[in-house]
Amino acid sequence: MSRRTIIPFGPQHPVLPEPIHLDLVMEDEKVVEAIPSIGFIHRGLEKMAEKKDFQEMAYIAERICGICSFIHSMGYCQAIEAVLRLEIPRRAEFLRVIWGEMSRIHSHLLWLGLTADAFGFESLFMHTWRLREKLLDLIEETSGGRVIFGVCKVGGVRRDVDAEALDRLLAALADLEADCREIAAVFARDASVQRRLSGIGVLPKEEALRLGAVGPTLRGSGVPSDSRRLGYAAYDALDWAPVTEEAGDCRARCLVRMREIAQSFDLIRQAVAKIPEGPVSAKVVGAPRGEYFARLEQPRGEVVYYVKGNGTKHLERFRVRTPTFANLPPLLKILQGCELPDVPIIVLTIDPCISCAER
Amino acid sequence: MMIETQPLEPLDRAALPARVAALAKEGWRLVQICCSCRDAYEVTYSFDREGRFLNLRIGFSKEDPALPSITESYFGAFAYENEMQDLFGLRLDGLKLNFHGNFYRLAKKNPFLDPPAAGSPGASPAASPSAPSAEGAPRAAPDPRPT
Amino acid sequence: MKTALLGALLWLVVAPILGGLLAGADRILSARLQGRVGPPLLQPFYDVLKLWDKRGGVVNRFQNFYMLAFFAFVLVSGALFFAGGDLLLVIFALTVAGVMLALGAWSTNSPYSHVGAERELLQMMAYEPMFLLMAVGMYLVGRSFHVGVLARAEVPLVLALPGVFLGFLFVLTIKLRKSPFDLSASHHAHQEIVRGITTEYSGRGLALFEVAHWYENVLLLGFVWLFFSFNPALGIVAALVVYFLEVFVDNAYARLTWRTTVRATWAAAALLGVSNLILFQYFAR
Repeated sequence: MSRRTIIPFGPQHPVLPEPIHLDLVMEDEKVVEAIPSIGFIHRGLEKMAEKKDFQEMAYIAERICGICSFIHSMGYCQAIEAVLRLEIPRRAEFLRVIWGEMSRIHSHLLWLGLTADAFGFESLFMHTWRLREKLLDLIEETSGGRVIFGVCKVGGVRRDVDAEALDRLLAALADLEADCREIAAVFARDASVQRRLSGIGVLPKEEALRLGAVGPTLRGSGVPSDSRRLGYAAYDALDWAPVTEEAGDCRARCLVRMREIAQSFDLIRQAVAKIPEGPVSAKVVGAPRGEYFARLEQPRGEVVYYVKGNGTKHLERFRVRTPTFANLPPLLKILQGCELPDVPIIVLTIDPCISCAER
Repeated sequence: MMIETQPLEPLDRAALPARVAALAKEGWRLVQICCSCRDAYEVTYSFDREGRFLNLRIGFSKEDPALPSITESYFGAFAYENEMQDLFGLRLDGLKLNFHGNFYRLAKKNPFLDPPAAGSPGASPAASPSAPSAEGAPRAAPDPRPT
Repeated sequence: MKTALLGALLWLVVAPILGGLLAGADRILSARLQGRVGPPLLQPFYDVLKLWDKRGGVVNRFQNFYMLAFFAFVLVSGALFFAGGDLLLVIFALTVAGVMLALGAWSTNSPYSHVGAERELLQMMAYEPMFLLMAVGMYLVGRSFHVGVLARAEVPLVLALPGVFLGFLFVLTIKLRKSPFDLSASHHAHQEIVRGITTEYSGRGLALFEVAHWYENVLLLGFVWLFFSFNPALGIVAALVVYFLEVFVDNAYARLTWRTTVRATWAAAALLGVSNLILFQYFAR
């Protein structure tokens, strides 16, 4: 039978509660083509920057995403600081790294749980999210927020974490790390999980580059591209290398994220060991004039913050290119020719945050 | 503090497809396309190769809101180009996957085209001393939706 | 004759209660395995009562008719079994019930339902061979297709047919709609086809499906019991153990695809079922 049917996927689909709609053109259970439509909840936050004070905008930027919130505000602040040529205290940069990496772990754990749910492994899903809950508690303890941290501001961070709290954080993270290693083994080795991930949704290296993939999607195809290598914040002082996997399939993308969780634990440890004493914020004088593209690595990949100031407190243009937006074209490519049961898994392996793409 | 060197290469609109095709051949990754529009359009194409950053910038007047598409070289650009088409009313020639203005479901057509109206909350007169004078003039609005 | 009628009546009255309780126990056990508290034991009954009171939206006139037919055939199939009737008839009545369910899903216009129905048929294709091998095996051992006769068989069926029993446990996962084989309709809608086969059902139609599924589960555990019929008490224990084993498996596996399902179940049927029958024939003579 080669009759073509169209199966709608989203924007209200139980597997992916994100406002994306895919028209899956099917031949039996094989996807011939996937046509996306997004834009259900476009918020126009970029335009909002033209009416808001540039310092207030940091908190709005944080609300672009409900998961990788912290790195959004960090990206915005870095862009503004670069335009202002504002040197922020080193301690603030280290704290940003610590919070940034915690938000990476939390995002990756959330993603792993959702993926487990997509291939019908409920107990793994529940367990992963239980671990994430512990991490959220730690985030709350250090920053005061659970998902929206609200600690990043232009010129540094809003609160300091004392040495005692950092020690407590390290101890708690050590426990969590052991638990994470346990679930990593399930994702990497469990037979039924491998069956659902191995060889599914293969994105070859050249294709990934050509289609503009970013983050774990790109690194899962063997490209060691990681914006943290630019050495922003305190990443220049830490010892690490991008995680890559060669296979380019769903399993590779999953393993990249698993290994990045381990790496983030390590980065936090290094940052806590090297964090200098001092103030955590610098005074902001003047208003931004000029333009800058700040590139940061989010859990989902490279995010680009573009700001253009004209010397007033309102920006002339503010633009965010979220990683999901860049990962949509590769997604369409790998959906072609896959089987219907693999669709949710493939869609999830780019870690879509559509609400984030609809800034 | 890390500030990246971000070379900006001004480019003529007509030269864009050839330049982009050359970059694609050299293995550059398309990072983003950013459109902005105050007095005139200004579109920036950003590329990355092993951490090196490169921008191409094209400027053109509001009277002629058209751009050649680069989806021939970078298919992934369709998302950015459809976005520009919807938000800024640009016409993209040769766009391979064209949503014809339906990429975003918007309450208002081309909402990013107009600068914030004077007197709107937040836009105090002191804040925008260099408000473009041609702002109030009716815009020649060619149909941005090719078929 | 009297015991047969009594058996059928008992089935009609007791099976849904038992099935509902099993479903409740399943949910609690699953929750505990996942580190949650879980719902009350009677939650499945509350769910069905609530569904019954809901306004039912139907896509067309036939949809609920097919569901009713599914329900009726499950009932007939079970009644035949517990009345001690013909095992083959029981299996085929159950198959017809499955076909009715698939037809109900086909009758709607929803692509999710269509894929679900297609998968339901593929699943039937996957488990039918093993079901028939089970009937054949029981016939070879007990010299009858009648459940009543088989229940009084002198040879313990499970000892003569260990391979068949294991193969049956394998396909039981499909029939109980448990991971890794919950393809056509998983227990919750977090699936690419949104519970496929029941996507378009609501209200009473869906309630009927739930109750029929309880009946079906009890009937399937009846098959398990039959393997242990030489000692009825042991049979009940075995049936319960099997059920909880299935719940455990459900929580320890990801959902597989239909290709893997068909391949795995046929392999199981061939390896465990057929070899068991060949060996039995060889040694029994």
